[in-house]
Amino acid sequence: MRRIYQYGALLVVVLFLLVFLVLPVLTVIGAGLHWGLLAEVFRNYVYREGLCNSFAIALVTTALVFLISFPLALIYDRFDFPGKGASHLLVMLPMILPPFVGALGFQQILGHYGVVNTVLEHLGFAPVDFLGGRGRFWSVCLIEALHLYPICYLNLVTALGNLDPALEEAAENLGAGKWERFRRITLPLLKPGILAGGSLVLVWSFTELGTPLMFGYNRVTPVQIFNGITELETNPVPYALVVIMLFFSALLYLAAKCILGKSALNTTVKGIAGSAARKLSGWRRFLPTGFFFALTLFAALPHAALLLSSFSLRWYGTLLPEHFSLVHFENALSNKIVLPSIVNSLHYSLLAMIVAVAAGILVALAAVRWKLRGSFAADLLAMLPLAVPGIVVAFGYLGMSVKYAWASACFNPVENPLWLLAVAYAVRRLPYVVRSVSAGLEQTPEELENAARNFGAGSWRVLSRITMPLIAANLVVGALFAFSFSMLEVSDSLILAQKAEFYPITRAIYELSQILGSGPFTACAFGVWAMLFLAATLAAAGTLLGRKIGAVFKI
Amino acid sequence: MTTVEIQGIAKSYQPGVPVLKPFDLTIEAGELFFLLGPSGCGKSTLLRILAGLVEPDSGVIRFNGEDITRLAPEKRRAAMVFQNYALWPHLSVFENVAFGLRTAGAGKETIRREVTAALEMVQLADCAARRIPSLSGGQQQRVALARALAVNPALLLLDEPLSNLDARLRDAMRHEIRRICKERHLTALYVTHDRQEALSMADRIAVMNGGILQQCGTPEQVYNHPCNRFVAGFLGDTNFISGEAAGNGKIRSPFGELNVPACDLPDGTTIAAAIRPERIRILPPDAAGMNRIPARLTGRTFLGESCEWQFEAAGGTVDVLEFAPPERRIGDEFLLELPPDGVVLLRG
Repeated sequence: MRRIYQYGALLVVVLFLLVFLVLPVLTVIGAGLHWGLLAEVFRNYVYREGLCNSFAIALVTTALVFLISFPLALIYDRFDFPGKGASHLLVMLPMILPPFVGALGFQQILGHYGVVNTVLEHLGFAPVDFLGGRGRFWSVCLIEALHLYPICYLNLVTALGNLDPALEEAAENLGAGKWERFRRITLPLLKPGILAGGSLVLVWSFTELGTPLMFGYNRVTPVQIFNGITELETNPVPYALVVIMLFFSALLYLAAKCILGKSALNTTVKGIAGSAARKLSGWRRFLPTGFFFALTLFAALPHAALLLSSFSLRWYGTLLPEHFSLVHFENALSNKIVLPSIVNSLHYSLLAMIVAVAAGILVALAAVRWKLRGSFAADLLAMLPLAVPGIVVAFGYLGMSVKYAWASACFNPVENPLWLLAVAYAVRRLPYVVRSVSAGLEQTPEELENAARNFGAGSWRVLSRITMPLIAANLVVGALFAFSFSMLEVSDSLILAQKAEFYPITRAIYELSQILGSGPFTACAFGVWAMLFLAATLAAAGTLLGRKIGAVFKI
Repeated sequence: MTTVEIQGIAKSYQPGVPVLKPFDLTIEAGELFFLLGPSGCGKSTLLRILAGLVEPDSGVIRFNGEDITRLAPEKRRAAMVFQNYALWPHLSVFENVAFGLRTAGAGKETIRREVTAALEMVQLADCAARRIPSLSGGQQQRVALARALAVNPALLLLDEPLSNLDARLRDAMRHEIRRICKERHLTALYVTHDRQEALSMADRIAVMNGGILQQCGTPEQVYNHPCNRFVAGFLGDTNFISGEAAGNGKIRSPFGELNVPACDLPDGTTIAAAIRPERIRILPPDAAGMNRIPARLTGRTFLGESCEWQFEAAGGTVDVLEFAPPERRIGDEFLLELPPDGVVLLRG
């Protein structure tokens, strides 16, 4: 009897995922997988260049992410230094606002009349066009890397923490030098962590829409897809672009997963992981602290610029704004799309959080506790959004509302995208919730639940009195992530929220930034609000889970 | 008080690798019954089958004649003290102990009274508000016991509850658990691999090996009259002397002809004679007589109140345990007396 309910619950989740994840993807493939259409894309110079640029952005961003995160993770793991605890939180700072909002701040630094060019001019050099041509490409990569490096950093720190220091000590004992130890012992053992973080960043940056859009960088595939929405009826090329994008994302992800699967066998050796952290003496112990803070400060530059812009009245051709005022904050709050957008975002994100947490708990329970047949497939399905770009799913919903009568009746984005956006957000964040809850269940001995049954508690009572309270921290973190990332979601929001009255925060910021004159400043002020809000949620998550927070970003 | 009947219970987790072979056992009402055996012998599996946490492949379990084989674990009232205690870390000591009463729908006043009584019984009344992680191992063990006692169980199950405690605490808890079980007239099933625990606490012991019940009886029966080599060896140190029956209460062995208790084995049957080290007497070398064999002292292990001596005789080595041992010199010759009533004849 109990089994029947469990299978019933699993079936509901699987059906949900089939309708809101698999069906949209299939719809897009159905509409875009025509050889004529695909051939046209590859024949067209503009689309070819877009694909090449997207690839280049993904590769360069990922490389930059490792350049930033590897030294940070190593320093964090290997040294004890003053302010170590604070630095761990500080590193997460760049995640607290979508990179496309950071792009707004970035323009103040690198723009034609921005800070850097002002300095260059004072020094007697000609101003450089950072935001046009090649400069624009590097700016996009840099700002995405500065946003995404925490994902890799968290993965690497977790992987390093799981390394038994004795493995390296054994190599040292057998005469291996520092560099050889790192190359032949540490690096191979870190492979799972590297691949897990790397593949996430690769897919993420390959399909990122917001940042290039903000920089007006139109020759990248996601922006081309976004711009094609308005003429979808006459020009089906975006469908083909989406199919190509999906194909390459899945390929990148699977490649990483395959290599990871092979190496997983070698890394199951896990001793009692003691800390290998070394204490430095004298002034040197401040070196790691300095390095940490300098890098974080650099990563936070867009945020700082955003903050300054939001307070400034005039900021052209000077190092700092000339006058400060709170007028943009007032404007931001008095603009007629801002307050409704906050309410909308809260609606969407809260709903998304509830849906994602409910589905995540069921998938994790089915796989870890109930060990149902087919739960492996459900788990795989729930992880699928990591390999499927958000833009594909959002596009799929559009396609579904056009193709199926029932879909256009139930969730037409033009009429009211409330449920559609909530579901889209939920599906996108489901992997993180499932991972977080699964980790919690795996760390909780099943015997505690057996004991409760032994003392007369039925299934529901065991779940509510024992299991849920025991994994409360993981639930809270999963929910916070689902919520905060929903608040910051870009692709779904830009594509699915089509009427001003339904705009979520991200779409409202985008619209504000497009207004000439003081628009970008108002957008900056609004971005600051959003940033503060997210800082609070992430800080709460960080304190609740500590170092374990890295587990959320594993594939 | 509950009588527990186990009939033909069998279990295998992988096909062809049985953990329990079909098994019959009856635990009398109010009995403190022990399952004793090495790890992997299936004793914990049997316990979990009784609790309903593992489903048997075949067989029937009856509580007071009522078939409960397929009853859900939460409806069995078979409270268990788990090996690692399985105390809920998010609940206080009081709430842990109160859990079973709450699920049973007891009133507030009843809960307070019963929990306090259970905690007093394990001498933890002043720890009710403490958090689980702040307790020592011994305290946690007692909370687990109180939790099981508070629900007034039909059957109390104890899964190696003392294995994580240090020696002194273990000794104290043995007496406590037996006292409480007897005071409350509980039917209890206690699983352990520690023979001292089983011998000192049990009303009856079932010795298990390889998923099979080897012997069932009182501590004195299984210790003094083991039915096979495994039981003899598992319950205590034993000297095994192989030989063959020679009729008339005699056997032929490498130590010569020995008098043993009368038996009806035909002449020439291969047998093993088992004799416990403490039953052998050490005599001066000039006191020749029946069942006395010459031997040279080759080693000693001093244990305080007793001493284990190793002897080398013509037919092999013999271990002897002597209480209040005198000084003896290694290398000296002695006579060892093997009293016939201390010898147990085993097949093979």
